[in-house]
Amino acid sequence: MNPAVEVRNLSYRYPQDGESALDSVSFCVAEDECVAVLGPNGAGKSTLLLHLNGLLPEHFSPEPTVWIAGEPIGSKNLAQVRQKVGLLFQDPDDQLISATVFEDVAFGPRQLGIEGGILKSLVSYCLGQVGLAGFEERQPHRLSHGEKRRVCLAGVLACKPSVLVLDEPTSDLDPRGRREFKTLLQSLPGAKIVATHDLELAVDLCSRVVILDDGKLVADGPTVTLLSNEALMLAHGLEKPHILLHRHPHGPVD
Amino acid sequence: MHLPDGFLDTKTALLSSGVAAAGVGLALRRVSTSLEPRQMPMLGLGAAFVFAAQMLNFPIAGGTSGHLLGGVLTAILLGPSAAILVMTCVLIVQCLMFADGGLTALGANVLNMAVVNVCGGYAIFKILKSLIRMDHHRGTVFAAAFAGWFGTVLSAVVCAGELALSNTVPWSIAFPAMGYMHMLIGVGEGLATGLIILGVLRARPELVARHQEAAPSVRFAAIAYGLVVCVGLALFVAPFACPWPDGLESMAQHLGLPNHASAAPLADYRFPFFGSITVATAVAGAIGTLIAFVAAYALAFVLVPVLGTSKKDASARH
Amino acid sequence: MHPPGIERRAPSLSSRTSPRLKLLAVLVIISFTALLPRRPDKLYLIPAAVLLASWAACRMPLRFAIGRLLVAEVFIIGIALLSLFRPAATPIFLSALLKSNLCVLAMLLLIWTTPFQEILQQLRAWRLPSVMLTTLALMYRYLPVLGEEARRMSRARASRSFSARRRLSWQNLAMVISQLFIRSVDRAERIYLAMCARGWK
Repeated sequence: MNPAVEVRNLSYRYPQDGESALDSVSFCVAEDECVAVLGPNGAGKSTLLLHLNGLLPEHFSPEPTVWIAGEPIGSKNLAQVRQKVGLLFQDPDDQLISATVFEDVAFGPRQLGIEGGILKSLVSYCLGQVGLAGFEERQPHRLSHGEKRRVCLAGVLACKPSVLVLDEPTSDLDPRGRREFKTLLQSLPGAKIVATHDLELAVDLCSRVVILDDGKLVADGPTVTLLSNEALMLAHGLEKPHILLHRHPHGPVD
Repeated sequence: MHLPDGFLDTKTALLSSGVAAAGVGLALRRVSTSLEPRQMPMLGLGAAFVFAAQMLNFPIAGGTSGHLLGGVLTAILLGPSAAILVMTCVLIVQCLMFADGGLTALGANVLNMAVVNVCGGYAIFKILKSLIRMDHHRGTVFAAAFAGWFGTVLSAVVCAGELALSNTVPWSIAFPAMGYMHMLIGVGEGLATGLIILGVLRARPELVARHQEAAPSVRFAAIAYGLVVCVGLALFVAPFACPWPDGLESMAQHLGLPNHASAAPLADYRFPFFGSITVATAVAGAIGTLIAFVAAYALAFVLVPVLGTSKKDASARH
Repeated sequence: MHPPGIERRAPSLSSRTSPRLKLLAVLVIISFTALLPRRPDKLYLIPAAVLLASWAACRMPLRFAIGRLLVAEVFIIGIALLSLFRPAATPIFLSALLKSNLCVLAMLLLIWTTPFQEILQQLRAWRLPSVMLTTLALMYRYLPVLGEEARRMSRARASRSFSARRRLSWQNLAMVISQLFIRSVDRAERIYLAMCARGWK
């Protein structure tokens, strides 16, 4: 069984200054697995995520470094990769480009050739999935931050991806928004990769965690085990989340 | 300087729209062929940027405030073709969303503020940058400041010509009124343009030199845009800029044309030493241009310290 | 930044009329008015009557109309005054004033009854070049975002400015605008990536 996402020896240098952003990163994500990518600012999390969708590198080398469902990402299969891997960007304003919610959710499917009545019902379905039924004619700049995020998610879901990659999905959300978004993510099937600073989200949502620091993968293991390791957390600019402070990694699940 | 409806007659509206369409069409062609897909969103964001920048109040004496026009600024930051498109879109939105500028006058407004302003200002910017060697960013700031002033004045002159050709305002009034007023307004525009370019140079200098295109196509574009601007000047300024109104009158009599152009009372007014008001204005214009030139030069010296390398703002990438 | 009352627009005949009809009507009225003779004439009553009737039909608020008219008036009167410097100027002056104000009124009615989105769709149907349509659409979408950024940055600057000197003010404004441009460039880059991520070519 091929893993949903496989990364092998991924290295990347910024073209402007040649600085190393990623250094031989390797990990796998199985189907239906949820993996959190943690690390301090500047560790390279966002850069890594851009590689999963084929947006980086600018020019593909003959040796592939990322496989999606067993297929390596190369310049020939970018369209399929981008349909299979749905990427949610950190700032919803960067992703919400159209004038109405309907137009924006329809953007992806339209690129795939879906039109007419099928498109309309697809958009309605996806908006319903994210809890925004009836929002079709709303204008993006009048939505709250959380609503904009959910519209972006609907737009990504509309392309029917098999892997969801999310960049800081709960940043800038108020506690209720966070809770609602977390519940929403839990309800979505398929493999998920979540880059986040929200350690509580990682504990609640993800069974596995990889830690990036300075472009290198420094840890890869079960969430509770790694996050309970206070020394490891502090060494890489993180901390043991409160939710685990009184929980033994091998104790009963609350 | 947004012309409302009702001041231009049909022929002027059509002529100016035609020349504007030529300029915008040229810009569209160049953008479609030479702009990478990666840079397409920047057109829309650039237009939003210009609009947002135009809304900020620059305080002037006594509680009044002025606003940036931004044509030359955009040309320096995005390249002239993109700037023409951006400014045209800004003007369209201002007309259709805010009733700023007339619908029948849209062509003239596009010609003045999107084509002539951008092309004229950018041409001066490039010429100054290549002719005058100043170290580091001073040259760019100086050229940007003067180009901003120049573009404003040039577009005002063409606007005056449009009003005169429509017989709404006689040239002898329009030219000095619009000319002098915009020589003053242009100071603000030039100053703001210089300061903003300096700000961008200090933080991300590579953004100001970005749009260097391949040499042969640049030459073609320069000639084409130059032609458009010249046609605009020829249609709207040249007929009036002749410093010998008597000569024009006698030629008109020869050809049997009715005597419109000299019907204004002040056309015959003789200034001491200079002669007609047109000549006086032209001389004043030359003096004003010189003053603006020197001022822009001084500004660059004052603003950009001798230290040379600019301090980059430490901005986190994440 | 957005014309007030887009959401407050009550469903009425005007919003059910097609945008194409409204745009064409406005174009016809404005062109007709601009072509009227250069002296106050009975013909002026035609567009005046049509516009006033439309105003009554679409119930445009007086405050909105007066507010926008006043802003336009500055330019109108300014240029009209210049036309006084000629013989037989008064009829030209008056006609210019009348024409301009009627045309502004026509535009205001269009703005009040037609959201910019619909105007954009109509321009697309009339085959405006796609580069311009995309630019207009993105501009409309990101204007409030950039406007908000500019406001935030101005406030942040103002909170650290203790001098009322004009020179400092201009430098601060220039800093804000240059930062706004840089952020726009970065945002445009991210928008491009986000569009590609959803399959745009």
